[in-house]
Amino acid sequence: MSAVAAKPTAGGAVNPAAMAVGVVMLIIILGLTYTISPGMGVMALIGIVIGGVMIGFGTHFVPVGGAPAAMGQAPGIATGVAMLAAGAGLAGLFGGAWAAELGIVVAVVTGGIGGGLMMAITCMMVNFVYVFGMGIPAASGKVLHDPITGDSQAEYKSQGTEGHGLPFVSFVGGVIGGILAGAGGTLIYIELLGLYEATFPTLMSATPAQVLPVAVSVAGMFAVALFLVNAVLTAYNITGTIEGPHDPKFKRWPRAIVASAVASALCGFVAILIVAI
Amino acid sequence: MEHIVFGIGITALTGALATVAGSAEDTESNIGSQGDPNSQVQLAPQMGFLHRIFNKAVAGEPPAYGLWCALGAGLAWAFMAMQVNAILAIVLGCILAVFVQGVYATTAYLGRTASLAKFGQPVYVDIIKSMTTVTMAHAFIAIFCTVALCQLINGALGHPFPLPLLALIWGVALGAAGSATGNPYYGKERQYQNQKFGAGVPISASGNIVRYAEAGERNSIDNGFFTHKIGGSASGVCFGLIVFLELWRTILFERIYAGWGAIAVGVLMILIFTVIDRYIEVWARKNYGPYTVAKEADA
Repeated sequence: MSAVAAKPTAGGAVNPAAMAVGVVMLIIILGLTYTISPGMGVMALIGIVIGGVMIGFGTHFVPVGGAPAAMGQAPGIATGVAMLAAGAGLAGLFGGAWAAELGIVVAVVTGGIGGGLMMAITCMMVNFVYVFGMGIPAASGKVLHDPITGDSQAEYKSQGTEGHGLPFVSFVGGVIGGILAGAGGTLIYIELLGLYEATFPTLMSATPAQVLPVAVSVAGMFAVALFLVNAVLTAYNITGTIEGPHDPKFKRWPRAIVASAVASALCGFVAILIVAI
Repeated sequence: MEHIVFGIGITALTGALATVAGSAEDTESNIGSQGDPNSQVQLAPQMGFLHRIFNKAVAGEPPAYGLWCALGAGLAWAFMAMQVNAILAIVLGCILAVFVQGVYATTAYLGRTASLAKFGQPVYVDIIKSMTTVTMAHAFIAIFCTVALCQLINGALGHPFPLPLLALIWGVALGAAGSATGNPYYGKERQYQNQKFGAGVPISASGNIVRYAEAGERNSIDNGFFTHKIGGSASGVCFGLIVFLELWRTILFERIYAGWGAIAVGVLMILIFTVIDRYIEVWARKNYGPYTVAKEADA
């Protein structure tokens, strides 16, 4: 069965018991962090969880069509959910890390704009190739009218396909997803960098200037890793392809929020452990 | 002022390197058939269509390029720590990374194709001999350009991340931009060249890829030649724009209002690309028109 034929069950069917277990796990991890590093560690972990949730939520906005999109059989960008979100978010993290010295607010916003800009360029070029390279107009397979522009979609779908290209709502979704993912990744980096800058000098018996490259590298690696964890986790929630915020699969986001929070907390706990023990 | 002029020069150079990297990456992935359209290359023998297309999609382009670029940069970094000249170190690091890519391509082709043995798909030794080196050559260009631009960002522009981490980030972004932009052109326009132009491939046609060329059977080098003209160029422009504009807005405007200047320019550029995208969408709707009349479609 192709990914196109595998119709989503659409629903944001939420399993309350699983959600409750997730929330309990989150509280336990926060409690454990409090016991080993009550002040700075807990604050860093809360920042990491917020950043992870932003990545997980943002990934739902990214219009990904996977293999069917590569044949013009389904709308979206012709690559994997996790990888596209990671590409955009990491581009944002690059900009955010550069602006780290300007303060957390400027850095996080810069990271978000970096991710959004990457997605804006990519989505524009995708439509460019569809329209001028392949002669195919954009059409959504999930809605009759574009929720933003009101353009009718059904008659622009070619025969035997689910739609193709990126309708305007998908473009906007991609940019929003890039912004959230880039900002979330940068927030994780900034939180970890602050923690490592404060703790590494004592741990390594060195001056702050000497430990800075190590702190930047370790925080950067953990930020990239947390990025991939949350993006891949969300890809499982989406199961294959999604058109953007208008897609019925978008309603599944509450599950991903809880899962991302727990996974980020666990990974963040490990990142804090290396300096707290 | 001198600092800004220097920064703009480096930014232009990184943009040019990124454009070449994006173009080479897409062509390499199309010759090796590593992107999402490879689902059809894998599916074709199962539908009874045996072919001579390379098949190495055991990883997506973004993680694969993240690995190869990080590997090339890590080795280059190690060579530089041994006091080797930076350019030579990058070349040596990238050569070693490309050998890993070659091993990956060979084992991936053998593994993926051997798994189709029950459908009668042969493993062609001449394909390994002739195609692998071509993908390696293109991969070298893509990896070298990416590592070189990361070295410029790190060494000349002063980004805090170490070279291997930068290469991992931009390697993943390279794969994401290249696969997003280039895949539809390879998947629809090349593999399904027998389908109507200006329409998506009907789902019922899945697996029936074009297997014959003007003379003899089609091979993957033909695919790279064909897709490079639009898919490869568009991927290059896409990655080049991403790298160039990201650096340009930071170098020129970061000092204005303590970082908010670069943010404002970033927002403005996102709005400009939104307007361009909307123009392209409306242009296509006006010039190509609907496939069916609206009434039928709604019904």
